[in-house]
Amino acid sequence: MNRVSFDNVVQHFRLIRERPDTLRETFARIFRNHSRYHSFDALKGVSFEVTDGEIVGLVGPNGSGKSTILKIIAGVYRPTAGVVRINGKVAGLIELGAGFHSDLTGRENILLNGLLLGLSKREIRSREQQILDFAELGEFIDSPVKQYSSGMFMRLGFAVATEVDPDILLIDEILAVGDASFQQKCMGRIDEFRQRRKTIILVSHDLTTVRRLCQRVLLIQNGRIRADGTPAEVLDSYEELHQPIGI
Amino acid sequence: MWRLIQEIRQNRELIWALAIKELRVRYKRSALGFLWALLNPLLMMIILSMVFSTMMQAGIRSYPIFLISTLLPWTFFSQSVSYATDSIVGNGDLLKKIYVAKSVFPIAAVLSNLINFALSMVPLVLLLVIFRFPFHATWLYLAVPLLSLILFTLGCSFFFAMTNVFFRDMAHILQVVLSAWFYLCPIIYPLDFVPARYRAIFRLNPLVYPLNGFRLSIYYGLLPSAQSTVLSLAVGFGTLAIGYGLFRRYQDTLVFYV
Repeated sequence: MNRVSFDNVVQHFRLIRERPDTLRETFARIFRNHSRYHSFDALKGVSFEVTDGEIVGLVGPNGSGKSTILKIIAGVYRPTAGVVRINGKVAGLIELGAGFHSDLTGRENILLNGLLLGLSKREIRSREQQILDFAELGEFIDSPVKQYSSGMFMRLGFAVATEVDPDILLIDEILAVGDASFQQKCMGRIDEFRQRRKTIILVSHDLTTVRRLCQRVLLIQNGRIRADGTPAEVLDSYEELHQPIGI
Repeated sequence: MWRLIQEIRQNRELIWALAIKELRVRYKRSALGFLWALLNPLLMMIILSMVFSTMMQAGIRSYPIFLISTLLPWTFFSQSVSYATDSIVGNGDLLKKIYVAKSVFPIAAVLSNLINFALSMVPLVLLLVIFRFPFHATWLYLAVPLLSLILFTLGCSFFFAMTNVFFRDMAHILQVVLSAWFYLCPIIYPLDFVPARYRAIFRLNPLVYPLNGFRLSIYYGLLPSAQSTVLSLAVGFGTLAIGYGLFRRYQDTLVFYV
């Protein structure tokens, strides 16, 4: 079964710096009768399909469009052109604890974040213990999250997001953060997903992780797919391409 | 409109949690906490009645009650719209990372202020008791001006929440509009205070109808005319339909501008 299918997807952005932020600028634009928008296409016609149980890595230089692809799958962006089909429940680990409110306690945030991610109150209550176990917050669970260390913050964010029990899990670079034990725990959780034949799409610059986890790698460059194949095929050419000059 | 009801149904738990969060954060770590919801309108009322009861020549009986009967619904309206205006921009970081129905943020802003409004009815009731003011049977009618006020407030909230994303000036413009609007509404003065020749223009203000509905039922113990009841509900539904319609039309582009 196809979980994700992109057909010639284009994502157009207006450079935020150039947007008319105030009415004055808008008037100025109208009177001068020319557009001050600078626009670019983050994705210039991307097509691919991901099937059930596949683990796909997206690699490529910064600004190539990897995160844009994830955000389209997550439903954050509606693409400018092309057709996107998503089959199943999506959970995005795009930024851990994105919906956390610093003044609320860990427990209050579990509820709010879970609801934001699409869980119902009942589901959250029944999974709360597992979330607490993973996050290992101890006493801190009833303190406001602004007092948390960054490690605690991330553990809690990761724990809530992965409890959504998605069919498609999106991971954006989050494995690069956190200490060794956090990374190990995350890997454990991801392996669990893998064993349950969930679809995983991850963006990473850590090619070792990509090699270890993925069966298939897409190389993205300048908003286009440059290569699509096994890690060995794609990553070797990618590494060659990006050999630092002078070595 | 049907879509809106569906969206609220689907996200009711989230909307409720966001509204409670808003209130928690508002009163968190203040010594008096939720008491502020009661104290705030009471203090406002004391200030305004001290200022205006001396200025008003007409000599309105029980001026504090006269005032608070429309001051509270006005505060609900102005606070809701102010909060809602910032609700999309303020949650921009979140919207760029998680898919959430955008409408939940303005709705939650209105809901949190509605809870506040309900709490602020406590000092109103206390005041009636203290002043030995009669509770009119027309209190039962309050549901109608309340409904039309909520609809109107939601409509404005959707409109300002969306436009503020594209033009950040909106938040500033709104503050000026609100302070002018306050004096254009029959809050500190009675309706018949307005000179007859301006009354036709005055009636173009959509807030006149629900606010007057509140005052008539709480203070005068009278019912508004059928015409003004229908008008206030029609304005409420119309504003919501327009506000929500515009919001829906642009909601997919919001994320690129927050």
